Amino acid sequence: MPASDQILLSNPLRDPRTIVRRYLAIAAGLLLISWMVKDVVIDEVDWKRLGGTAELLKTLSYFVPDWTFFPQIVRPLLETLLMAFWGTLLAVCLAMPVAFMAARNITPHRWVTYPIGRALIVLSRSTHEVIFALIYVAALGLGPLPGILALASRSLGFVAKTTAEAIENVNRGPIEAMEAAGASPLAVFLYAVMPQVMPAFAGNVIFSLEINLRRASILGLVGAGGIGYVFAEAMQSLQYDRVGTIVIGLIGLVVAGEFISNRVRARIL
Amino acid sequence: MAILDIKQLTKTYGNGELALDRVDITVDVPEVVALLGLSGSGKSTLLRCVNRLVEPTSGTVMLDGTDIGKLNPSALRRARARMGMIFQEFNLIDRLTVLENVLSGTLGVTPTWRGILRAFPRDAIKRALDICERVGILDHVTKRADQLSGGQRQRVGIARALMQSPRILLVDEPTSSLDPKIGREVMGLLAAIAREAGVPMIVSVHDVFLAKSYSDRIIGLQAGSIIFDQRTSDVEADSLDRIYQAAS
Repeated sequence: MPASDQILLSNPLRDPRTIVRRYLAIAAGLLLISWMVKDVVIDEVDWKRLGGTAELLKTLSYFVPDWTFFPQIVRPLLETLLMAFWGTLLAVCLAMPVAFMAARNITPHRWVTYPIGRALIVLSRSTHEVIFALIYVAALGLGPLPGILALASRSLGFVAKTTAEAIENVNRGPIEAMEAAGASPLAVFLYAVMPQVMPAFAGNVIFSLEINLRRASILGLVGAGGIGYVFAEAMQSLQYDRVGTIVIGLIGLVVAGEFISNRVRARIL
Repeated sequence: MAILDIKQLTKTYGNGELALDRVDITVDVPEVVALLGLSGSGKSTLLRCVNRLVEPTSGTVMLDGTDIGKLNPSALRRARARMGMIFQEFNLIDRLTVLENVLSGTLGVTPTWRGILRAFPRDAIKRALDICERVGILDHVTKRADQLSGGQRQRVGIARALMQSPRILLVDEPTSSLDPKIGREVMGLLAAIAREAGVPMIVSVHDVFLAKSYSDRIIGLQAGSIIFDQRTSDVEADSLDRIYQAAS
């Protein structure tokens, strides 16, 4: 019997063991999902308190925006935008040296600076912005400054990590060519590394700005400036029409931010 | 005094691979020297040992009487500034314009701040444009390097090397990324330019036809050793066969 016929007989694509294992995995997955649905959705939700459709609509009507309140949220909205801007700018400045340390191919020292860079990135990425904000509010008091610092601390890791990865992925060719022409290390970096890193870097900075705009809008809940403070106030005093206005204003701000960042990104890349 | 004098050049890579084994080459006059050999025969390593992109394990490289191996980093950069190198993959900076790429050849002698601000001296820009005209890319100087075809990109690489006013041209497989017709054009241009500039050119190739058509002298390399070193007109078929024995 030819070798190919033997392979055909054993049918490697439908090996019984593989099939049994696959169906067992699917069954286990379905079991897990149904348990989660029962526990969270069926047992823990108080369906009686939700009431009927009429009651739901009535509650929603509380949130119909009060447009006379709008002028009072213009400044907090602007503050939110500026917090996102300054927070991102600060993050970018701080991320530069961190990215330099955390890129395996250019880090000054494999066993000293590289772990420091990586540790800073992990610390920044694993801590929630509200935690950072609470720390800075405790240290610096209320207002937008602790919010800016919280945003910077939170997005430093993302910017540094993606930049370090972009530096690690540069094509060696142009670097070799610049070295062969006798260029100084700084000139090699600026001519052969920077142009390759720029597109990814610019894209990630814009992305961070977008995310920071969303993060900035909630930092007011812990007193770190921006629209979140007004939001918390309206919520606590049960002024749901004001909450509705704030939500609409926020959606407008975020959509405008996204629109602009998409335009800028299309320009750069 | 020889322009280039390589003695007992040996390179062993970290993994123990012997890439060059006691190579001696002397270039006394401006001529086109083809390094002929299979992939892995040590051609690229030999070229890179001349400007120390690869650090030789032992042996000496003398260029115009200077012992390249003894230079400190800044002296090495000054020496490299006068060695033009041309690469198989062109090694251009894709996102910069053709003119910026050509001018980047002068970064070894231009103050770094001028490079950053693109404030190159006027005569350097004039010379860059003249060189672009000579290699046939004057129409493309304001385009980004990644918008050019392979043959045009290699012409930019040639212009960048010429911008250095090199004393020697080190050329590594200049046509391997190009189709045969464009490859012959580029090879002809390189040989003509080396002769115009009056500098020696060492060019690695693995194509016998290109070596025989465009060089004055052919050095055959096999497994890191020179197996023949002859005028191109004297090279006989059986010495070429010996290079490719390993392949058959």
